[in-house]
Amino acid sequence: MMNQLSQNSYMRPLTMDKQLVYTDEELIKRFQDDDEQAYVELVNRYRDRLMNFVYRFVNDYEQSEDIAQETLIKLYTHKHYYKNIAKFSTWIYTIAANLAKSELRKKKTRKVTNLSQMSTEEREYELPAVQPDTDQSIESEFIQKRIQAAIQKLPLHFRTVTILRDIQELSYEEISKIVDVPLGTVKSRINRARIQLQKELKDLR
Amino acid sequence: MDRYKFEDSISAYIDNELTLTERQEFEDYIEKNPDAKSLLEDIVNNMGLIKGLPKVKASSSFMSKLLEKVEFEKNKPSVKVINKPSNTFFGFTPLYASIMSVLIVSFITVGYTLWSENMNRPNQLPNFNGNITANPNIDSPNNNINNDQKFVSTTIDSADTTNNKRTKVNLDGKVNFVKKQR
Repeated sequence: MMNQLSQNSYMRPLTMDKQLVYTDEELIKRFQDDDEQAYVELVNRYRDRLMNFVYRFVNDYEQSEDIAQETLIKLYTHKHYYKNIAKFSTWIYTIAANLAKSELRKKKTRKVTNLSQMSTEEREYELPAVQPDTDQSIESEFIQKRIQAAIQKLPLHFRTVTILRDIQELSYEEISKIVDVPLGTVKSRINRARIQLQKELKDLR
Repeated sequence: MDRYKFEDSISAYIDNELTLTERQEFEDYIEKNPDAKSLLEDIVNNMGLIKGLPKVKASSSFMSKLLEKVEFEKNKPSVKVINKPSNTFFGFTPLYASIMSVLIVSFITVGYTLWSENMNRPNQLPNFNGNITANPNIDSPNNNINNDQKFVSTTIDSADTTNNKRTKVNLDGKVNFVKKQR
């Protein structure tokens, strides 16, 4: 499998017939039939999405990587748990959200300070390279940190839906399945979360 | 429209999910209430800022670490259940078997004791030396009841009073009247 999953091979999209691009559901079906190249393709499609989602949730880059990897490991070891009654994205986001929440709960009970957070070393952190002006980049970084801090202040059930809706841009229906609450409750939580964020970010006008 | 209904309707308004009437009500409300309009503008502004947050990407070492973990999972030895030969007595551990045995023996002993007591109770009537001329129909050799005799079942129902003949009991000389004591 290591030969198959080389650094170069994972960059290529899976186009078995060269004309077709498989949907996520088709890929998971192929993976369930032991096509490991399908797994690689799913990893390629979802690793950044999962990283983005989990990072906004836990606000710790290294921890986010661990959680994202754990989610993809669960995809590998529990591939047969997926049934084609829901979207694949719903399933994988549900796993990631549950792992992220568990980690946050453990963090609360542990009360340990992560040394990497105290470190002044620069970590690998890929950002879009659009930085026209030094002042603007400082200001935008400040705004980003304020927004991230405001999201962190939201209660977990508000935070999840806000990230899934306003950052991951999922539909209300999908969010409802991921967090397993009725559609009306999802909309209500998003509404309340937005009002709470407005209070936190009042001075950013 | 009141403040609560307005706040509840903000996201629906932004997502264009209100009916025409509700939308009109909403817009009328924000026209009349500048703070409500300001709240709506702030929320829309924040949504734009959140959407514009840079996408966090995985590091370049993400894939290699993931592959290592996947290989480890693949090669992980399966957990084998080793059935150790156990010292059991009909499937029970020695301690459990002992406790159960003691309990069973105790129950049997107590049960037998209680049952025996129940069976022996008729022999323990208080002593009675008088002669009672009872129902002459009772099938007893001398109509005397004493401690040594065991009750025997009779064919006659002693509760049946239809054939009972009243017999006069002669108490002359047997009853001493006690004088009134002043």
